[in-house]
Amino acid sequence: MSVDKESPSGGSTRRDDEAWAKPTPALEVTILPEGAINRNVAGRRVTGPIQGFGRMWQKTYRVRMSGVDIDPTEVIKTWKEHFPEFWPEGNRFYGPLTGIAPGEVAVLNLSMPGRLKLSTGVMVMYADDESFTFMTPEGHMFAGWITFSAFKEGRSTVAQAQVLIRASDPLYELGLALGGHEVEDRFWQTTLTTLAARFGVEDPAPETRYLLVDRKRQWRMAKNVWHNAGVRSGFYMMGMPARWASKRLKRKSPPYTSEGSSQNSDL
Amino acid sequence: MPEQRFDAQVRQEGSVATMDLSGEINRGADDRMTSAYDDVAKTGAATILLNFTRVGYINSTGIAVIVAMLGRARNDGRQVSAYGLTDHYKHLFDITRLSDFMNIYDDESTALAGVGAGA
Repeated sequence: MSVDKESPSGGSTRRDDEAWAKPTPALEVTILPEGAINRNVAGRRVTGPIQGFGRMWQKTYRVRMSGVDIDPTEVIKTWKEHFPEFWPEGNRFYGPLTGIAPGEVAVLNLSMPGRLKLSTGVMVMYADDESFTFMTPEGHMFAGWITFSAFKEGRSTVAQAQVLIRASDPLYELGLALGGHEVEDRFWQTTLTTLAARFGVEDPAPETRYLLVDRKRQWRMAKNVWHNAGVRSGFYMMGMPARWASKRLKRKSPPYTSEGSSQNSDL
Repeated sequence: MPEQRFDAQVRQEGSVATMDLSGEINRGADDRMTSAYDDVAKTGAATILLNFTRVGYINSTGIAVIVAMLGRARNDGRQVSAYGLTDHYKHLFDITRLSDFMNIYDDESTALAGVGAGA
């Protein structure tokens, strides 16, 4: 939230300090709903576009709330409160119960090609009445930020999602080149369409703009592949049948625990 | 409270171009930051010093504006450093990990010495 303060020169200025997250060495996931896969989030550091590997892109997705008289702050309030509801089907956003607030961490379970469920997350880096921004953790497909905002342009209110990203590692960079950009574009276009429809906009028409900010790849960041959430989620899913079988076997075992066995062996 | 309009003025000393930033860095700062960087590019300076002494407000869109400028600088092979950040903005640069990318100095003289102005 933006509030005012006295500046050293005696004038009044806006304050932003309440809107930013506090510095944190590693992410913590406090509460997780049943069914959510929490991999690749807790203990990870957040990353910005500077820490990524691939080319730096700024992609801007916008939708005009044509024919609807709505204040930008109302759009942001609704977007924050109902954020997961605007996501495309098959993708889950497990946000904190306290809502989207600076420093909060959300777990994401995303649908990927090949029926892979990618488990990753985001931290709310910034939130005020007019915008909020997520920052990604190590291992996320993108190192960067995504900012959601709403503002007046002419007589209309415009809702916008703007990503400033690099692919985190060479594997993700390859994925982006092989159709990943289009998948991401559809994701946010669908989100904005759903958001606009919520406010009664008829036939919302999201626009997409691309800007290649830095065409160079940062090869010294190729080591980020170690944290790759896709690879780790893949291994996790491959191990699911074994974990399921193990749990079943434990459940069918005699009703003494390993502690009980130890006691028996002492007899 | 009315927004304090963003401005960026460029001055050059040797191979260092200093960008004196003032006002609020938000979405509206994009065009001015871009044109200020264009001015730096014309000077051919190898290093950019960002002076934040007169900046009183940065939101997340403003940080994105700064990062986009950093991206252009990196693309053009220019080093970027900063000075004049309050403790709050030093924290902010830590959160966003901008401080991994640029040296942060307390004041202009330290910054100029640090980047080897005129060397």
